[in-house]
Amino acid sequence: MDPSEVEFLAEKELVKIIPNFNLDKLYLIGGDLGPFNPGLPLYVPVWLALNLKQRQKCRVVPPDWMDVEKLEEMRELERNAATFTPAPCPYYMELTKLLLNHASDNIPKADEIRTLVKDIWDTRIAKLRLSADSFITQQEAHAKLDNLTLMEINTIRGFLLESLNCMYKLRSNLQPGSSKGPLADY
Amino acid sequence: MPCERKPMRYGHSEGHTEVCFDDTGKFIVTCGHDGDVRIWENLDDDDPRFITVGEKAYSLALKNGKLVTANSSNAVQIHTFPDGEPDGILTRFTTNATHVTFNTSGSKVAAGSSDFLVKVVEVSDSSQQKTLRGHEAPVLSVTFDPKGDFLASASCDGSVVVWNIEEQAQVISWPVLQKTNDVSNAKSLCRLAWQPRTAKFLAVPVETKVHLYERESWNHVTTLSDDLLNQPINVAAWSPCGNFLAAASVGGFIIVWDIESKLCVERQKHEKGFTVCGLAWHPSGSQIAYTDTEGCLGLLEGFRASVPTTNTPKVPAGKPERGYEDLFDDEDDDQVMDEGCSDANSPAKKAASGVQADEEDDDDFVIPATGRVKNRGAILDDENSLDSGSLKFGRPKFGDDNDDDADSAVMTAGPLPATLRPVYEGPQPTPPQKAFQPGSTPVHLTHRFMMWNSVGTVRGYNDEQDNAIDVEFHDTAVHHAMHLTNSLGHTMTDVSQEAVLLACASTNELASKIHCLHFSSWDTNKEWMVDLPQGEDARALCLGQGWAAVATSTLIVRLFTIGGVQREIFSLPGAVVCMAGHGEQLLIVYHRGTGFDGEQALGVQLLQFGRKRRQIINGEPLPISQKSYLCWLGFTAEGTPCYVDSEGVVRMLNRSLGFTWTPVCNTRDTCKSKSDHYWVVGVHENPQQLRCIPCKGSRYPPTLPRPAVAILPFKLPLCQTTTEKGQMEEQFWRSVLFHNHYSFLSSSGYEVDEVGQSQSQKEQQELLMKMFALSCKLEREFRCVELAELMTQNVVTLAIRYASKSRRMALAQRLSEIALEKASQIQEEEQEDVTEYSDIRQTLEDERSQELEEEEGEREIESEDGVEAPKRQLQLKFWMGCMQVLGSGKSSPVSCHPRVKNILDHMTPSRKLAPLSASAGKSNRSPVLKPLPPRAKGKTQEILEARDDQQKKADAPTAPSPICVSKPTLWLEENRKNITADHPDLEETDIIKEAMGLFRNLSADERLAWTERAKGLTGDVKDLKKRKRTEAGGGIENEIGQLEANENDAKKKKAMDPSSKLSAFAFHKD
Repeated sequence: MDPSEVEFLAEKELVKIIPNFNLDKLYLIGGDLGPFNPGLPLYVPVWLALNLKQRQKCRVVPPDWMDVEKLEEMRELERNAATFTPAPCPYYMELTKLLLNHASDNIPKADEIRTLVKDIWDTRIAKLRLSADSFITQQEAHAKLDNLTLMEINTIRGFLLESLNCMYKLRSNLQPGSSKGPLADY
Repeated sequence: MPCERKPMRYGHSEGHTEVCFDDTGKFIVTCGHDGDVRIWENLDDDDPRFITVGEKAYSLALKNGKLVTANSSNAVQIHTFPDGEPDGILTRFTTNATHVTFNTSGSKVAAGSSDFLVKVVEVSDSSQQKTLRGHEAPVLSVTFDPKGDFLASASCDGSVVVWNIEEQAQVISWPVLQKTNDVSNAKSLCRLAWQPRTAKFLAVPVETKVHLYERESWNHVTTLSDDLLNQPINVAAWSPCGNFLAAASVGGFIIVWDIESKLCVERQKHEKGFTVCGLAWHPSGSQIAYTDTEGCLGLLEGFRASVPTTNTPKVPAGKPERGYEDLFDDEDDDQVMDEGCSDANSPAKKAASGVQADEEDDDDFVIPATGRVKNRGAILDDENSLDSGSLKFGRPKFGDDNDDDADSAVMTAGPLPATLRPVYEGPQPTPPQKAFQPGSTPVHLTHRFMMWNSVGTVRGYNDEQDNAIDVEFHDTAVHHAMHLTNSLGHTMTDVSQEAVLLACASTNELASKIHCLHFSSWDTNKEWMVDLPQGEDARALCLGQGWAAVATSTLIVRLFTIGGVQREIFSLPGAVVCMAGHGEQLLIVYHRGTGFDGEQALGVQLLQFGRKRRQIINGEPLPISQKSYLCWLGFTAEGTPCYVDSEGVVRMLNRSLGFTWTPVCNTRDTCKSKSDHYWVVGVHENPQQLRCIPCKGSRYPPTLPRPAVAILPFKLPLCQTTTEKGQMEEQFWRSVLFHNHYSFLSSSGYEVDEVGQSQSQKEQQELLMKMFALSCKLEREFRCVELAELMTQNVVTLAIRYASKSRRMALAQRLSEIALEKASQIQEEEQEDVTEYSDIRQTLEDERSQELEEEEGEREIESEDGVEAPKRQLQLKFWMGCMQVLGSGKSSPVSCHPRVKNILDHMTPSRKLAPLSASAGKSNRSPVLKPLPPRAKGKTQEILEARDDQQKKADAPTAPSPICVSKPTLWLEENRKNITADHPDLEETDIIKEAMGLFRNLSADERLAWTERAKGLTGDVKDLKKRKRTEAGGGIENEIGQLEANENDAKKKKAMDPSSKLSAFAFHKD
């Protein structure tokens, strides 16, 4: 899966906007949106929010978790915990990127938030790598990781699966007795 | 002692706090663990100024405009007060100072520190320091001898030491305290207090008691205690007059003793029982401020006001040497105290017994209370500020106190003094609330919302760099955002779809001005300005559709057109509170009189401009919650007056119940915390929305971060809304109330959303039916009948069916009676309608015949005008529809038929009606109001619907209108015979359906031809004839011939109508 595909999925998340125009309900396949009343906040998918924002038709209200204090707290939690803590939002990285790139003027302390989210991301990815490492070195058959977001899984999936396959191949070569021979698929 | 405990409020973060008053008593100053010193103008001050003095502030002292604080950087700093400028560092310790205090004159500061030292520093010259060494543990507190010779300090080593400052030597040391190793571990802060003025006693909190040591002799003379004090006393503080000693304990008790009688005169408990760590008397002695370890600030009000005036001669130094025996042993001789507190007003000499003291309190109480009221006027918009009405009056409270103080028998047993000043104990007048703009935050804020309404927001900035106004529209389609420099100092604003109206009060040189930015103007002048006459100030203003209104200080309301033309001017019966405008309605709230005991006496006027100018509500009292004031006034988007009071209750005008006000929501119900509020910005009836801004811990939102609007639901305060019955009743009545605006709008000539209206009616009937079913289940048949009376006839039939199905024959019987009654009512109404309509018809005919004559000439020329034709067709259709319906749908057709024919005969399109029918065709569901000529669409639509209903219900053949000239109908007329021949079994309605289907199947060309022919019909006979002459097309002639034949044919059919309709009606009635 491509990161852009994950981002595409993230665009379905709802975000609060304050429109500055009047429009009746929009009847879309995915569900009804609106009505849009100027000054009245409502939830719309991120793709629409960004589209409206780019046309200067709305203000984006940052999600609750996109707040310096909350993120700081989360960062501390993430740093102190050995396992993954629940992510602030299943698409936190994607949303941060999208919203901060397109609507940074509506988000107070955008730079700090960017740094904090990057910190959280780095911590989590480091943990992920570490657990992958221990998974391989201890030659475990299976492992369970909770609270991973799609984007995080996606970053490690390609590399991990490839390397596991590779190792499997190597191992089966080393122990010809355990199997009938090198696997045909590889 | 009747003293009032004000609610606590949050001041600092959790931790040690201290409090003091400034010299004038105007400000309360607190410091706390967050390192801030806050300067409160009063307890209700929502926006106290603060000075950050360090990471933590441990102690503060304030005198002569110098604020001394001990902070976590181990320094004792000076700041100027009230500006908060740093003014140098007084002294430093190796660890933090624990307590700082001024001497009486303010020339010296003493500071005790955790490094066991006490330093005495000259404020003017910090190099002049004296260090008092000798404590063997951190110093807890220090206090100066008011005469300047000594200094007392308490320490964690368990000793209380009196020092001679000059000699820097210990005079005496009492090992009375418990030993600890640090201030944080000490059970008590042991704040010592030296009696002011006489300097006779040193109060030392020891465990749960306060020891009094006499000066010079240093004997322990007495101990003050109270049964309630079961935890160590933290703080002791003398009243400014020196007659009372207040002490606060770890358990949150605050006790005040009268020093002469050694009796407790006041007991209060912290509302949550937190440890009180700061205590300060107001310089007038009427209030005690206290702070707790949770960082909250509290205030006790209503102590005796024994103010030592400044011109009091200084107490001679020798006097107190007469000894304390005089004081405590000789009841008659109060001379010492009198001299000690030589204020003429001082009640001290009368205070030989507690009762007398209390009587004095009663007296004195009235004075500070009214004095306070004056202050309150200015801060009226602050939280709780109106509870001046909840002033506790001495008498009744006194009785309560007696119960409390049963142990102090002297108080009750004491004889009442014979001479008492007359005391007014009746209701106290409430200060009238100030005029305000609904939807604005208080004027004194530097950054404020000057207006937030459904159109946009206006923000005002008034700080050192900038005095500006930002106007922003919710809908950027209205206008782009504006930035204005506010050179005139405008304080009032309103914004509408057309203009921004600003006004400022007059200054010494300039008159009060009204400034209008009329951005929707189509000429190049987009603004105008008007000066009010000398001595007249704008107090409130509002904008309506095409007009502006300004209420002034001379009780005049001035109306302007939006372009700046002066219009009507009228007087108000009282000072204006606020105004609101909407469409053609103007709502004014003013002071009807003086309210008492915290109530406001408000009156309300509702005026309607437009064609029929009238006053709808003429100065009736505006009902608001008890002891509250008005917070917001406005109209719903649909035009119903609405207001919110300070208790958070939203009330709406009920036009169907004689212009009464119905509470529709209490915003405080949804608040999580007591200090949270909702700031209302708009009300919508359809959909039911209360738009407001949630404000955490305040009444008003800050301008930054930009607040977001939340939506609250409405809820009528009906009883038992937790039960199903209550819920449905609430829903029903809410639905009824919130759909009142339909009838109002249609009656005042506005377009009405018919779909919404019928939906709401359906909803109401459904609710009634549900309630009916519920009552049925509960075997409440009487209730069922009551409900049935609210239903429409159709629903009653349903109800009958329900009742008979559930085998309640008696109920069904009663219901059928109601159904009959309703049917006859409808019939009566219809008959009334008929007469009404025939009147209208008569007038219409008259008009038309006149126009006919007038336009006769024009006709000749215009008739060929192609552009006109469709329009005329529309008009004609409209009129015909109207007439036809009048004939067929509602009334006895006998009288109608000739009329219809009559009208048809000289039917002329009237151009005057063109816009009418055009707008009737448009369906605009937005809440934006559009004025319409009276009774245009509403009635036709209604009638048309009625006709449809009739057709469906009656199932009787009604002849299709012979005069309906739309293409399909025309085509139908021609092809009717064919259709009937093809489908002989079809009913009339089915024939029409069939015909419609067939017509749709026609080719485009054929349809076009029919369109042409339909157009041809729009002209009257004369037109046709003329066309005949001018246009020499044989085909057309044929067509026209055919048309005429058709018409004749139709007329024949028309002649059949009455009987069939009559039968239909009869059928329907059954």
